Amino acid sequence: MFFQKKRCIAMLLAGGQGSRLKVLTENTAKPAVPFGGKYRIIDFPLSNCVNSGIDTVGILTQYQPLELNEYIGNGQPWGLNKTHSCAQVLPPYERHDKKSGWYKGTANAIYQNIDFIDRFDPEYVVVLSGDHIYKMDYAAMVAYHEKHNASCTIAVRTVPLEEASRFGILNTNPDNSIYEFEEKPKVPKSTNASMGIYVFNWSILRQALINDEEDPNSSNDFGKNIIPTLLNAGHKMMAYIFDGYWKDVGTIDSLWEANMELLGKNPEFDIRGDEHTKIYARNSALPSSYIDEEARTVNCFIAEGSEVYGTVRHSVISVGCTIGEDALVEDSVVMPGVVIEPGAIVRHAILGENSRIGKNAVVGGAFKPNEKKKISVTSKGAVVEANTVLLPGDML
Amino acid sequence: MNVMGIIFTNDASLGALTDKRTMASLPFGGRYRQVDFALSNMSAAGIRHIGIFSRHNYQSLMNHIGAGEEWGLELEEGGLEYLTPFSMSTTDIYRGKLDALHSVMSILEKSREEYVVLIDSAIISNIDLKHVIKCHIESGKDITVVTKTGIANGKKQLDLAVKVDENGEATDIAVDYVAPADYLASMDIFVLSKKWLVQRIKEHIARNLFHMDRDLVLGLWQKNAATIHVYQFPGIAMYNESVEEYFRNSMALIDKKTRHDMFGYNHPVFTRVRDRVPSFYGENCEVENCVVADGCILEGEVENSILFRNVTICEGAEVEDCIIMNDTVVGEGAELKYVILDKDVTVRPGAKLCGTPSNPIIVKRGETV
Repeated sequence: MFFQKKRCIAMLLAGGQGSRLKVLTENTAKPAVPFGGKYRIIDFPLSNCVNSGIDTVGILTQYQPLELNEYIGNGQPWGLNKTHSCAQVLPPYERHDKKSGWYKGTANAIYQNIDFIDRFDPEYVVVLSGDHIYKMDYAAMVAYHEKHNASCTIAVRTVPLEEASRFGILNTNPDNSIYEFEEKPKVPKSTNASMGIYVFNWSILRQALINDEEDPNSSNDFGKNIIPTLLNAGHKMMAYIFDGYWKDVGTIDSLWEANMELLGKNPEFDIRGDEHTKIYARNSALPSSYIDEEARTVNCFIAEGSEVYGTVRHSVISVGCTIGEDALVEDSVVMPGVVIEPGAIVRHAILGENSRIGKNAVVGGAFKPNEKKKISVTSKGAVVEANTVLLPGDML
Repeated sequence: MNVMGIIFTNDASLGALTDKRTMASLPFGGRYRQVDFALSNMSAAGIRHIGIFSRHNYQSLMNHIGAGEEWGLELEEGGLEYLTPFSMSTTDIYRGKLDALHSVMSILEKSREEYVVLIDSAIISNIDLKHVIKCHIESGKDITVVTKTGIANGKKQLDLAVKVDENGEATDIAVDYVAPADYLASMDIFVLSKKWLVQRIKEHIARNLFHMDRDLVLGLWQKNAATIHVYQFPGIAMYNESVEEYFRNSMALIDKKTRHDMFGYNHPVFTRVRDRVPSFYGENCEVENCVVADGCILEGEVENSILFRNVTICEGAEVEDCIIMNDTVVGEGAELKYVILDKDVTVRPGAKLCGTPSNPIIVKRGETV
């Protein structure tokens, strides 16, 4: 088989469980969680790759991979199925030298796939994670990395000082070179938070991964091990400042918020974009949506294949949903294939794929503007029986 | 599947809507083109070798279908073949379907399939072709004509009309005929044995006969040289053969049962994916009784309308009983009733247009009004 040499390839870490998404990731990996009406979280980094001219993407899967693998398939929706492009799913595997098994950490996952990367003999490897919502031109970041002759470049964003202790913080010189990395510092010295997006010179990363694997005390993690080790070894590392929209959707609250931030006439995150920033997704071949005579649709996204007979306010309705007569959906994220039966009321909720809300059932509640919103969640295929209640913040 | 599919893209008769496109690439139902139905029907029946005829205007068609990957037709063997005018051998222009088929005789003869399904693009349906083919084979007849009741009405001229007795056997066949209501209308779908068809095409072309309905079906039947199996399709068939019919059939999608029959009864209808975001409904919009594709931004009032992908309805606009195709913008305060806006149309703020159900106003592609 012929492998073309690539200047740059991407490795997408998609194996995490996403346990903080609770029932939503019980049976599916976090990157496969639906987002924004017709997307899944992984569509964002994958589309960013394609829009950045990166045509070779290794996708590291481990936790509940069935749905994710099925979704990625041969990479056709992202145009990654051509002669000189690929979306290669890389699950853990068994090797003759026993240096294999489950991915022990993010660095170990890449370590176990050194052979895959070597085939393309790349100059640069972009390491991405599959749990962030954002649009970014990785090509510009690679160009920045190249221009500064760095060994590693890390994308950073400014976070409020009071929140900085929740992140991996990069302390930088005035020229944005990094002199120190602190994982969740108690007393942060800067507000440059790592976004978990790295550009490495492959030769340097390759050796670092091999060294890291030999260290029995390492937890084989990029943030905890690889980055500090490279820094201590005196490698030039640069911070690449990104000021666009970026959201870690690792919790129920942040997933809900990120969906709400798509709404409005001038949304915080404009998912629409142009031909060069559009997000691609696997299509579900459903017909156009239908909005009934009695329906009310206010400040909402409604995707194809949905039928709306009731009222939808400030919500995201995904593909193939039905909102019954006199039903009310407010401030909610309704994932693909959900059926909300007539008279049901859904507020401040995330309804998992194919879940069903019975007649006149009540899910979630209303909150005052400054009150902490407790989001109710239904898992995939869950049924809220007719005339029953799922309290605010409860999960089914 | 031991069947080859052939799609005719038809000359178009929908005035300004088909000036620059064939019937096959006419947009329908918010996110489809007419040809999507024929392709999806074939694909769902397991047909993996399809030829598409186009006399002209095939550029937009090729742009839409591409290699056919949305329909699972991007195959090493079989797959999709464009039968464009360049492959003609004998004449400047196809005079009829038999002429067209004759021009690609080598493809037909080389193909390994035993049966052929011929479909036109003007009449759309969600039909189980597997069942049609099974019935054809069981009937032991030469030609299966797929038909629909309720289309013949004593006013509409039918390409091919068939009358059957109580056993479903053809008792009369007529071509280009304004048939009374007791006739069945052909859906322009035929199933034949390939070998039989190839032989008949050769014989017909040699005698300067090139019309499928008139010469092959009617002619051979009258001479007792062919047996006809009449398949009566129980589902919905939409004859989009005039602007009035196209408008009425589009609006029929507002009815739930019709919509479900057309798009989900037997199998999904596939189309070219354009990766538009879901449609956004603004703070003050009023959308009622509408079929809406993805990518729209709706800020105004829209009622009883079909909106294709990426349509923008600005605040204060009032749209009623309209078909609005891709990428069209309706400006603030504009009022539209019984209008078909083609792709990329700009309706200036405050503009007013009003047609009638039988004669909707058509605004051509790319125009500003």
